[in-house]
Amino acid sequence: MNIQKKRMTTMIIAGFLSVSLAACGSGGSKSGNSAEGGNGGSGGASGKKVTIELAISKSSQDSAFIQQDLLDEFEKKTNIHVNLQLIPAEQTTTVLQTKLAVEEAPDIIQYNLASATTDLNLERNFEILDNEAWVSRIQNKDVLSANGHVYSFHVSQDTGMQGVVYNKQIFEDLGLSIPQNFEEFLQVCEKIKAGGITPVFMPYKDAWAANIWPAAAFADFAAKNDPAFFDDLNSNKRKWSDIPEFKTFLQQQYDVYKKGYTNADVLSDSYDMAVGKFLNKEVAMMFMGDWLIEGVAQQDPNMKLGVFPIPSSEGASLGASPLGGQLFIPKKAKYLNEAKEFLNFMASKEIAQKIVDSKGYVSNLSDVTTPALPEYKQEIVDNYITPKKTVLTSDAYMLVDRSELYRLLQDQFAGGLTPEEVLKAWDEKFSQLMKDKEIAGF
Amino acid sequence: MKTIKNLYSYYLVLPALLIYCIFFVIPAFAGFYYSFTDWRLDRLTIDFIGWENFTKIFHDKTLTLALKNTLIFAIATVVGKNLVGIVLAVALNMRLKTRNMLRAIFYSPSILSILVIGIVFTPMLRTEGTVNRLLDAVGLHALSQAWLTDPSIVIWTIAVISIWQHAGFQMAIYLAGLQSISQEYYEAATIDGAGSWKKFTKITLPLLLPAININLMLTLIGGLKVFSEVFVLTGGGPGNASQVVGTIILRSFGEGSWGLGTAINTLLFVAVTIIAIPLLIFMRRKEVTE
Repeated sequence: MNIQKKRMTTMIIAGFLSVSLAACGSGGSKSGNSAEGGNGGSGGASGKKVTIELAISKSSQDSAFIQQDLLDEFEKKTNIHVNLQLIPAEQTTTVLQTKLAVEEAPDIIQYNLASATTDLNLERNFEILDNEAWVSRIQNKDVLSANGHVYSFHVSQDTGMQGVVYNKQIFEDLGLSIPQNFEEFLQVCEKIKAGGITPVFMPYKDAWAANIWPAAAFADFAAKNDPAFFDDLNSNKRKWSDIPEFKTFLQQQYDVYKKGYTNADVLSDSYDMAVGKFLNKEVAMMFMGDWLIEGVAQQDPNMKLGVFPIPSSEGASLGASPLGGQLFIPKKAKYLNEAKEFLNFMASKEIAQKIVDSKGYVSNLSDVTTPALPEYKQEIVDNYITPKKTVLTSDAYMLVDRSELYRLLQDQFAGGLTPEEVLKAWDEKFSQLMKDKEIAGF
Repeated sequence: MKTIKNLYSYYLVLPALLIYCIFFVIPAFAGFYYSFTDWRLDRLTIDFIGWENFTKIFHDKTLTLALKNTLIFAIATVVGKNLVGIVLAVALNMRLKTRNMLRAIFYSPSILSILVIGIVFTPMLRTEGTVNRLLDAVGLHALSQAWLTDPSIVIWTIAVISIWQHAGFQMAIYLAGLQSISQEYYEAATIDGAGSWKKFTKITLPLLLPAININLMLTLIGGLKVFSEVFVLTGGGPGNASQVVGTIILRSFGEGSWGLGTAINTLLFVAVTIIAIPLLIFMRRKEVTE
């Protein structure tokens, strides 16, 4: 019996050992792979092919940086092959977080700068690009920078605008002009409703959509009346609920719904219905980004949509969302130099011009010219960007995950919370998240 | 006898045991450890912080609401699934011509993917959706509700959908239990002059107890672990009105609070164990044998 027990233990231990060895083995084979790649890398200088990995969300496949002809041209010129890692959209953040944490970092990542700041820990994970040659030609460094350093690359500075997307044809037919304050906005709604059209589409089943109005209204107010507010907020000197006007702004959005100027079932309708609602001319307006206009134009180029500022106060500025789709280089990239070479290639005058032309971007490189823009975009440039009547939305100042704020805004429409309670609850959650992030002052 | 007993060596359990250890035991214990740490997305180190995560949990209003919702859902579905299941089983144990067809019909929702159910029910339960129109059409306008967007009823709506989906599965287990009860008892009772209600409470129920036990356990554990129903129908909304422990765990991981998320998970595990095991022992004692 004793012998049997001994045997049993030996077997178990042997079993565990073999498994752990197997684990080592698989690890070994992986490092073997990388060694292979490493050989290729050292050979890169002497003319052998190197393969760099570029990770990108599947939903960003239309990105200019991964168009096949450009990648082919890059490979022909430098003998560096770019392998794309397409990540399912809803898992992009988690997959990238994991890859960066377990040191399987790709050589280049496409991501949104603002979300990278909150989700991917810029300082720890990414190269500072201040000393790259192309940086001297960048006109607007802000859209590529965080904490005073350039962390990312893009050829565009067109950040995307947020405001009230509206159907120009309906406005024209009803003889309406762009409202300059909240009172005028309500009058416009009343006239559209009398015309038998739903004035505003609110798809607040998607909680984030409820944030467009306040994000622009808060930022516009702070920029004009209280420029230090967001700094104070991020150092815990002040709170969201300290500014009484914020309550007013939240109440305004709710009033638009309560006065019957929206779709009936705001909490059941979702964002993906928006394009259809505009195409069918069921709705005249929506608080949204100008990306919606592009979405509608793709279906029906004859639809004339435009965007005007959220009319939360007299003569408000148009909200600008932070730029998205930048390229980042992880610190742990296997082929750091080759990755930087990729950015140099994309920044070269000829290639950047090609991208800017094909995508209709507002160029961010001093020697690359901005092409003719779609009508709505040209209007934005003329009426808001050139006269400097834009303001970065409050999202741009937030260092933490905002989804709880969105849920609280949604709760306001479910009748669960007053504007005051929304801000109070967000204060609580906000300071908790800031504390977890170890931001000074919390 | 001895040779037969030793026909298979104990070693044969090793592969299964190893797999079980690697994929369940070790991660589970690692989970216990991580629930006492400040493991976060943006921290370089993982430090031991004692009970801090757990105090945080009980100070979070959303989380206490989620605990309340989870309990409501668990109790409502345990009662609903078992009542409906037992009634269906008794009814479909009778000699009906359409018996097999009806059994298949009542069982079929439980083989549907929860995603399909989410897609089908969400538009039906809108304020101007099929359900409310039906109520209006039969003159019950007063009963029409914002089923999935009114914070005070949303968790009940989800519970009813879950009952609709799974009662057929419970029915199948009860049917198996019913068929193991010998007809002789009923014949003897008939001779003694017992009515059908008497037969049900004095013969069917006691002899069905093993099936009732297993069903209570399954529905209770399933109810406490609820996630997918809430996720596909409301995502925990509107606001946080229908958050349950499962969706809160997802939210914590999404926010990068991995230590906190693990702590909530541990808490759920402990709660399920504390509720389920005494119930199991209690019910076992009540079982009778034929």
